[in-house]
Amino acid sequence: MNVLKVSFVELNARERIKSLLDEGTYRELLDPFDGFESPHLERQNIVPQSDDGVVIAKGEINQQPAVIISIEGNFQGGGIGEVSGAKIAGALELALRDNKEGIPTRPILLYDTGGVRLQEANYGLLAIAEIGAAMVALREYTSVIGVIPGKIGCFGGMSLTAGLCSSLVMTKEGRLTLNGPEVIEQEAGIEEFDSQDRQLIWNTIGGEQRYSLGFVDKLADDDVESIKKIIVNQLDHKDTHRFRSEQVDLYRSRIQKIDPSQLLSPLDVRRVWNETVAEKRAGDESDRSEENPDESRGRTWFTGLTDTAKSDDVPSVLCTDKTVGDERIRYIAVVPDSNNRFPRARKGEVGLEEGWAIAHYVREVIEQDEDGNRRAIVAIVDVPSQAYGYNEELLGLHQAGAAAVDAYAKARQAGHPVITLIVGNAISGAFLTHGLQSNHILALNDEGVNIHVMSKQSAARITRRTIEELEKATKKIPAMAYDVVSFATLGALHELIDGVEASHPKCEDIEKIEGRIIAAIASARSGPLDLSNRLQSLQAIDNRLASIKVRERLKELW
Amino acid sequence: METMFFEYPATKELANKAHVGVVGSGDLEVLVIPSDEPRTKVEVRTGMTGFDETWGKVLGRFFNQYAVQANIQVNDFGATPGVVSLRLAQALEVSGKYERA
Repeated sequence: MNVLKVSFVELNARERIKSLLDEGTYRELLDPFDGFESPHLERQNIVPQSDDGVVIAKGEINQQPAVIISIEGNFQGGGIGEVSGAKIAGALELALRDNKEGIPTRPILLYDTGGVRLQEANYGLLAIAEIGAAMVALREYTSVIGVIPGKIGCFGGMSLTAGLCSSLVMTKEGRLTLNGPEVIEQEAGIEEFDSQDRQLIWNTIGGEQRYSLGFVDKLADDDVESIKKIIVNQLDHKDTHRFRSEQVDLYRSRIQKIDPSQLLSPLDVRRVWNETVAEKRAGDESDRSEENPDESRGRTWFTGLTDTAKSDDVPSVLCTDKTVGDERIRYIAVVPDSNNRFPRARKGEVGLEEGWAIAHYVREVIEQDEDGNRRAIVAIVDVPSQAYGYNEELLGLHQAGAAAVDAYAKARQAGHPVITLIVGNAISGAFLTHGLQSNHILALNDEGVNIHVMSKQSAARITRRTIEELEKATKKIPAMAYDVVSFATLGALHELIDGVEASHPKCEDIEKIEGRIIAAIASARSGPLDLSNRLQSLQAIDNRLASIKVRERLKELW
Repeated sequence: METMFFEYPATKELANKAHVGVVGSGDLEVLVIPSDEPRTKVEVRTGMTGFDETWGKVLGRFFNQYAVQANIQVNDFGATPGVVSLRLAQALEVSGKYERA
């Protein structure tokens, strides 16, 4: 029978949900009349939208209870701000509660997002960390299904959450990538990525390409009925495959076989990908002598706190275990390595090798401590950014990041105290990957400590403002500022530590920080295993009020 | 960004609240909430400044024709007058019953 196709891509966020839920079961939560628009946009001269660009609806899909979260790509590029982010995270947290209580609410995410909404910067960053945390927890109970229909696609921090989905569906029109083409062009030059070249873009991050390399599970036609059918089929897939973000050995083996010194062709990658099987990588400390290691704060603090400067097989990721008093601690730091195989990750950026290596080191801890005393993990954070490059995106940087997010979240949920120590920059996707999934975040109060979502040049370009206009806006919105003191007002820091020599710590500085780490570990051991404490601090009650209110109201309406 | 308020006498009751549109390029979002007061109250927020007069004319003509008792919120992202009128008409249609004055 020939049936006319009905485009799913052309529908808006609300219509997309309605087209998927069984007729008559649609019930929207926090609808446009509930009065939850962004509290930050009007002050920046931007007209808000009544639902802040995210639609949450409960209902049934194929007679099974479901909650569908749909992002409106036409409003502010589907950017995740405080309210829209809290709606997504809150809905996932309630779906988790349902599933824990035996109510099998199926979570489905319809992505159409540019990532963090730059006008709400760190609010979006924190929300995306919370979304990831909820997804990792929820996946243990039920399939989390993601759909990337296209128009915008799925970019930035949200691509990390797509990498966490139990099952990911995409159309040809969809795009999936951590760094968008414009950002790569801005940061790495037009030789690296020409953001005007549509064919290049779709050949790198488009749905067909992603499917051919196994980054998505199903390639769908742009048709309502076939997309619904695929979703229904995926609902029961829970036990049939391992999550992509857990396949650390396989992806590490694949990436090791790649020669990243030149721009790769998708076909070459496909060949290597398919030929490679998962192998545990053997550590080869011997030939990796670190005679002239690249200096960085991350390395300085790692060396100071652990008395070692050792890296296993990836020179840019330092990892070692140390016992302090009764606590066994695994320290992990990402550091610059001017000989990095991947040229775009030589200055301490979190790239492919780094993301997967972090995932490896964290998972090792979970596996080794499975039946007993769970050691602590400390992430030393000094990361200027994620790696901006064509090869990076082709080879799935978002998936490497998702693997690290998954590992840290899993460790925290299993009862390993996970502590983040920010000694330098903590930026964007790099911070989401390495640092934002911890029980507690400690930061040095120092001018060289910066936390934000995008360099000023790129942020200005993407939001079509001058750098001066951008700087003016950061004065009004603490979440847009780059300094650690502003970040502290958002309440996600466990402690902002004063009076420490951040660049050249002395012995007493190291001792002092070690003491704070031990205290934070003790606190984490008796605290919650999720990220809820970030919204319970006094600063959060003042400055993340919308994040709290959205969750409260969602709970009432659920 | 600019915020404007308009008010018109109204006589027709509306059945339901209604929401249409998106605050996206060339489009706008309209929220209609029925009211018991005999007037139409409209709040317009728009990113395109300096079109007060145009808004006044477009809305004046529309609510002269459809004198609905309602509070209406318009969030605009550069919609043309034609699109504005279409969205308003669509909102009233979603809202259910309305009669021409």
